[in-house]
Amino acid sequence: MTATDTLLPEGAKDGVRRIDVDLLVVGAGPAGLYAAYYAGFRGLRTAIVDSLPEAGGQVTALYPEKMVYDVAGFPGIKGRDLVAGLVEQAARFGPVYVLGERAEHLTDEAGRRPRAGDRLVVTTDKGTRISTGAVVITGGIGTFTPRPLPGGAEWEGRGLTYVVKELSAHAGQDVVIVGGGDSAVDWALALDGLAASVTLVHRRKHFRAHAASVADMERGSTVLVTDAQVDSLEGNDRLHTVHVKGKDGAVTPYKAQSVIAALGFTADIGPLETWGIDIVDRKIMVDTAMRTSVPGVYSAGDITEYPGKVRLIAVGFGEAATAVNNAATYLDPDQPLFPGHSSDDPAGIGATAPA
Amino acid sequence: MPYVIGAECIDTTDMSCVEECPVDCIYEGDRKLYINPKECIDCGACEPVCPVEAIAQDRRVSDDNEPHVADNRRFFVEVLPGRDAPLGSPGGASKVGKIGVDTELVAEQP
Repeated sequence: MTATDTLLPEGAKDGVRRIDVDLLVVGAGPAGLYAAYYAGFRGLRTAIVDSLPEAGGQVTALYPEKMVYDVAGFPGIKGRDLVAGLVEQAARFGPVYVLGERAEHLTDEAGRRPRAGDRLVVTTDKGTRISTGAVVITGGIGTFTPRPLPGGAEWEGRGLTYVVKELSAHAGQDVVIVGGGDSAVDWALALDGLAASVTLVHRRKHFRAHAASVADMERGSTVLVTDAQVDSLEGNDRLHTVHVKGKDGAVTPYKAQSVIAALGFTADIGPLETWGIDIVDRKIMVDTAMRTSVPGVYSAGDITEYPGKVRLIAVGFGEAATAVNNAATYLDPDQPLFPGHSSDDPAGIGATAPA
Repeated sequence: MPYVIGAECIDTTDMSCVEECPVDCIYEGDRKLYINPKECIDCGACEPVCPVEAIAQDRRVSDDNEPHVADNRRFFVEVLPGRDAPLGSPGGASKVGKIGVDTELVAEQP
């Protein structure tokens, strides 16, 4: 086995996406991305699953523009740049990304509670079936779901969306974006000129988004409606009007075939609680080898708990390396725990891996 | 290093912070809101949205608000008036709703 023979997802006859790997990383935040790098370095075929559509976990979802000052080797680095670097570092070994899918169940291949030595199967909310030898859970604060637009439930799929997957889906439409963070402003900028009109509704005067992006937006043709919130949505089969209520209580209708609610995320440990692993106060208990209470399942990063735990990205990186190297010996007891020094290229992949 | 809500929140309870918190760790007392230090993930999303600038990281609170660092914790670890157990870590303010009482420090404010 070499590190470059990573299996690509196979489209099975029954329509179920099947992925077969040595190690599955659950959570594509900093600790998970680094775990994917390390697993590749150990020559393990690796997949990484995350409920968010992009890698980076809470860094990407909550503070992509924040400067981080406590990552070793970086006197200061912007959140999104750190994530980009981690993705690039892991990319050398071609991990399979399963993004926008939430890991739901952990079983053995027969659908039962796994025992030591069993192949593990993790299935996602989209039905993808990932068969793996070991799992490293780097779930951070849990799975993110977009904060719902009040009164919006019945309009999902009929004009209301929470994530812009393809800009072209909104081409020529009157679009109302709700929110004041980076996502809201970035989408307003991206759709300006492509959509028939863009109106941004934000309940405050100030935007949390990056100042330069806000300035760009203000120079563009986006209509800004601040100190206001969506009162109700109206339409027939599809949405046609968004009623926006100002601070003074006055309600103004805006023509819209599309509403994009970018109200941030809420996080919940969710399905992990059903995996049979020891969880206390929404944290996974691990030992010094980052083992959870289920054989073959390891954990690292913010989601772990043990005496003396410090929740920092820097610590998560170390835990990810510990978890993956211990998982490597679980998968093959003949393998040494210590991976060798990366500068010595012990896995023998430096020469063949793409630069 | 959780964030802390200071005295400016008393009788304001604007709730903007509650909408921003990704882990739903801001709980509603009677006259004030409280951040659960065990549930706060230190992301800082609440700080800029507070209209009365009541929120700061625990290490950066104003001298006047220093007592509120311990008081935010007290709201969760001590038994509040009319309750028979501490709130602890319910894992989300929306699960428990408005608590409706305050800590002694807050209740005593004129």
